[in-house]
Amino acid sequence: MRVLIQLRPSPDLVAAVADPSVPSSASDVADDLPGIVIDHAYAPVAVPRPMPAVPGGDPLSLNQPLVFSMAPQDASVVVRGEIADDELTSRIALLPATRRDVVAVYADPAIETTLTCAGDPPVGDWHDVERLLRLPDLAAEGLDGSGVPLAVIDTGINAAYVSAARGREVTVDHERSWNPKSVSGTPGAFAVDHGSMCAFDALIAAPNASLVDVPVLLSRRQGGSTLDGLLSDAIAAYAHLREVLDAQPAESRALVVTNSWGSFSPRWDFPPGHPGNYSDNPAHPFNLIVGSLAEAGADILFAAGNCGTQCRDSRCAYPDRPIVGANSHPRALSIGGIDTAGSRVGYSSQGPGRLAARKPDLCAYTHFTGSGALGDTEPDSGTSAACPVAAGLVAAVRTRWPSTTLSPAQLRTLLRRTADDRSAVGYDHDYGYGVVDAAGVIAALRRRAAKAA
Amino acid sequence: MADVLITVRLPAPATLESAMRHLELAEDEVDTAYGLVPIDPRRNLYVLRVTESAGRRVGDTGAGPRGGDHPRADGGPYSDPPIEPYGPPR
Repeated sequence: MRVLIQLRPSPDLVAAVADPSVPSSASDVADDLPGIVIDHAYAPVAVPRPMPAVPGGDPLSLNQPLVFSMAPQDASVVVRGEIADDELTSRIALLPATRRDVVAVYADPAIETTLTCAGDPPVGDWHDVERLLRLPDLAAEGLDGSGVPLAVIDTGINAAYVSAARGREVTVDHERSWNPKSVSGTPGAFAVDHGSMCAFDALIAAPNASLVDVPVLLSRRQGGSTLDGLLSDAIAAYAHLREVLDAQPAESRALVVTNSWGSFSPRWDFPPGHPGNYSDNPAHPFNLIVGSLAEAGADILFAAGNCGTQCRDSRCAYPDRPIVGANSHPRALSIGGIDTAGSRVGYSSQGPGRLAARKPDLCAYTHFTGSGALGDTEPDSGTSAACPVAAGLVAAVRTRWPSTTLSPAQLRTLLRRTADDRSAVGYDHDYGYGVVDAAGVIAALRRRAAKAA
Repeated sequence: MADVLITVRLPAPATLESAMRHLELAEDEVDTAYGLVPIDPRRNLYVLRVTESAGRRVGDTGAGPRGGDHPRADGGPYSDPPIEPYGPPR
């Protein structure tokens, strides 16, 4: 988190900072503050002291006539820095004890009036995403998803629509696809909806992947507009995917699972702390089977959700920490959203997560003109689009790196380590470890291959 | 809360019928269409979907009677919340 640190150094130093003819730097007044990365590009600023205008006034009240003193013995100095999100409380508590000249630490929120929100027009198109994901470089490395099963757990895929939107045939693996018992329909032939958007976006980085169609979000369909399912159907889907994975020969084992869904409300859940709870409970059967499938060799990605503080989805009902359940699973990647201009979209959920604190893990691209599956002029949006974009990159990697050579845990670490960090202190709860960086991934895989040789 | 989930450990090959016998569950207490779903084959751990009252009775954290004569699930009752697509944002 970015912070402003108010200090009261010696009057000489305050006078120097206040004098525009005297050059001063942040290190002159705030060198070596433990746990804070000082922004040396930000020159220290002298701040006047508010004082009662009338003799005998309350020295602590701001609700009275005031005068402001820039006298060196009164004024203070502000510098800018950053504290790691998961150390924030302890660092702020300890700072005044270790440095007596620290007066206070304040939040320094980003002033961003242009964050992309629901209803905003698209930012760029899917060819921009191809460029940002270095598609030619991936192709040159032979990383195009060929032979990699990519399971889309969603509302079903319409392969004809996705093929037409992409301008090339897509492959649906009928044998490995699966329907909940309450859902009838042929893999790849479901109505055009959210699942087709996810399939389209997953194929941006992995155009030759084999789509595995798993329409669990149709299991409770009522009428033509409500798309939802039950978590128990997702459990059954994951049990099927475990069979898919176990049936593969070890030398080519790979399965990428993209999940652009979650639970918006605690209303249908037991409360946190109850042993039957889902949102916060690693022992819930779905959280168990996610861990079990990942350990068996699957790469599992979940959307972080659309409950970001700047423009949250109206359905978000968790009062805080909206990345819940498997969307915050330690053995899955939780994916937030950025637009193609590189800014986090305002609806992308922020951490910490409930099962693992460091969520989201990464950000990927969303809110671009893509499939058109949600409407002719509608962008592919939500962390719903960001998740399959990232899953496509994972599937591209799996073309030549099966899970027996590069385990899912190793690949998660590689993606986090190579991400384009968007803060000065590593992990943060807006962008996670950063934005997926295909160039960094390719370089890391080359180094790994050279070592193995 | 509607139906709930319970987990049970059974030696392979396990079936829904063997799980129902083990837990003394009646057919109208179990979502037989859902069946018995393996969670972790290495641990012989399975899940089934049952009515809330059956979940309370046989779940290990439920309110049912305890003791050697009363069959218990391995875990549950667990919630089975609805899930929805995360997009487009509204």
